[in-house]
Amino acid sequence: MNNRAVPLVFNLLFLNLLFNSITMFKLILLKELKEIIQSNRFVISFAVCSVLIILAFLMGAQNYLASQAQYEATIQENRAQIAANTEWYNINHTITLPPQPLMALVNGVSSDIGRNIEMRSRGELIAENTRFNDEPLFAIFRFLDLEFIFGIVLSLFAIIFAYDAINGERTSGTLKLCFSNSISRASFIAGKFTGSFLGLSAALLIPILIGAALLPVLGIELTSDEWLRLTFIVFSGLAYFGVFLTLAIGISSITRRPSTSFLLSLVVWIFAVLIIPRSSVMIAGRMVDVPNLDEIASQKNNYRIQLFDEDRPKLQNFSIPKGTPPAKAFPLFSKFMGELSEKRQDKIEALEERLNEELENKKREQQKLAFSIARISPAAVFTFAVSRLAGTSLDLQHRFNDSAKEYQKLYSNFMEEKTGKSSGGIRIIVSDSDEQEEKKNLDPDEMPAFNFSETSFKETANSSFTDIGLLLLFNLVFFGGAFASFLRYDLR
Amino acid sequence: MEHTESNITPAPMLEARNLTKVYEDGIKALDNLNLKVEPGKIFAMLGGNGAGKTTAINLFLDFIQPTEGMALINGINANKEPLEAKKHVAFVSENVQLYPNFTAMQNVDFFVRLGGKTHYSREQYEAALHRVGLQSSAFDKKLKDFSKGMRQKTGIAIAILKDAPAILLDEPTSGLDPKAGIEFIRLIGELRNEGKAILMSTHDIFRAKEISDHVGILNNGILMAEHSSDDLRGVDLENLYVEYMAGYMEHTESPIANALKPS
Repeated sequence: MNNRAVPLVFNLLFLNLLFNSITMFKLILLKELKEIIQSNRFVISFAVCSVLIILAFLMGAQNYLASQAQYEATIQENRAQIAANTEWYNINHTITLPPQPLMALVNGVSSDIGRNIEMRSRGELIAENTRFNDEPLFAIFRFLDLEFIFGIVLSLFAIIFAYDAINGERTSGTLKLCFSNSISRASFIAGKFTGSFLGLSAALLIPILIGAALLPVLGIELTSDEWLRLTFIVFSGLAYFGVFLTLAIGISSITRRPSTSFLLSLVVWIFAVLIIPRSSVMIAGRMVDVPNLDEIASQKNNYRIQLFDEDRPKLQNFSIPKGTPPAKAFPLFSKFMGELSEKRQDKIEALEERLNEELENKKREQQKLAFSIARISPAAVFTFAVSRLAGTSLDLQHRFNDSAKEYQKLYSNFMEEKTGKSSGGIRIIVSDSDEQEEKKNLDPDEMPAFNFSETSFKETANSSFTDIGLLLLFNLVFFGGAFASFLRYDLR
Repeated sequence: MEHTESNITPAPMLEARNLTKVYEDGIKALDNLNLKVEPGKIFAMLGGNGAGKTTAINLFLDFIQPTEGMALINGINANKEPLEAKKHVAFVSENVQLYPNFTAMQNVDFFVRLGGKTHYSREQYEAALHRVGLQSSAFDKKLKDFSKGMRQKTGIAIAILKDAPAILLDEPTSGLDPKAGIEFIRLIGELRNEGKAILMSTHDIFRAKEISDHVGILNNGILMAEHSSDDLRGVDLENLYVEYMAGYMEHTESPIANALKPS
């Protein structure tokens, strides 16, 4: 054979081997797909998935519409309250977090965080009225959303489907018969994984597509951006599902008996889905000490009392020149009190700001650590990815608070313009009955509008793609593990 | 050198050369096995449990690696080039287990394609299933409803359709009722007549004598004896087997051994 013919022969051999591997892979894949579809396990999981997923879409849509109605009612109530007043300083302006359309499918923290903030010109803003506060029953059982279905139900189904993928074929004897033919182990396990994955994906995608088609009918109009997010949520779900599938295949290829692999898979599932995410919060809580809220409130209160005590001598020393008429005395007193109050308020706010910043920094540090630990678990990674995509992650709370703080400046300027006074302190109003005139009701349209800016898909993608990438990495690592152990698996 | 046709020995389709297997726990399951099965011949490995019969078959199928020696299928080392070697062999196990949720036809289609034969029509599948004696009504029934005999028949139909020149049978008649056993042996005979080289492990002395061209007696991984069907004509194989198993042949002057000694 001449020098040029040798590489040609090798190339042909390689191509032949590749073609043979692809043929065998396809064959195993189709067999697996057919076997899954014909099995009782598939029928049961398909039925359960269909019911749960369509129910999740229906209930999610209902929840979203209820939240939307509640949001609009709060806005109307706020406007009505402004319109019923004649003085701007009398109003209690409330801003409200609009419901996120994808919270219908991934509830995230949207029901745990306060949705209303009573606006003040200065000082701390506190979000109140969580959904769970109004409906505590949901706090106990949570919602039946896609995150729950994928996170708990489908990951369990993945294990139920794949726990005996390899050792089941060994005990039934089909593994020997398969490998009495010229099929490589790589083609077999790759075909098996792909076939199982596609078979079970069909059980998920059909009801998801039906549910998605129902959304506009149910009154939820998603924008193209939100459809794109939904597509990635489903993609993340499939990647997450793949993690447990490869994990179960891996476990079935290191054990000899299906009962052993089922038990082992279940233990791993319990740790990955239930224990690690919760433990991460506890571990992070122990590692990063976050000041107690009551402690901070007490610190603020003590400081407030201290400042009052410091002002007391000034108050005692304050006097109005004798003979000053009451009409002039009150403004003088009011000015004095206002100035004192302003100074106190500045100091309190400075302390509050520092304490809140410290608290926020500690909280974020703790969160970051908890998230990093939790990322050992594919379940936590999946939760992070989908809640970010749906816009219902913890980031929603941060963005709402940041938007509220931003709005507070607008509100403060507006109120100053309307009441002619800077905010804070004690307001003493002297009314002269002679000067009283009929006052007009306020126009709520004058109040600057609160706009909660949604993040764009691009912004969301940057953060959630890291987690989707991590899910894909889990797939790769577990499949690699399954593949490596199957290469050494005793086929007998 | 001039050869007449009768002098040319066909190359063995299955060959064990000094095949030895020692497991991790130190048990020697097979000790220096040497055997050859030519096309159109049946070699029956007789032996009790743990004699090394299944180990030998597992080595031919590359399910385990030999400690020493080699298993050759059509001259190809089954442990060095398993994918190439397995193209030339079909396998029927003691207890054929197919996919229970598949019908007989679906199982046949899958395993035959896995064996590299993709050109068969449904009629050809049906013909093969008819040939092994499976009723037409069973073709589209799920395997979970099949008896052991029916599964065995489906397994042999798969082996027939793979059309490999060598067939490995691991205790193929074990657990079959007498009628099914006879049918099975008839089929094996037909395959031999078609030129297949068949290596069969069995406990069944009578069937081994009835159908085989060569009988090897294995005990504790050692091939104690190998006799052709001509050698065994008129010999009480059962007694011979028992004597080998008991180790008599090494120590006593057995009338059977004497009868087998070349004159």
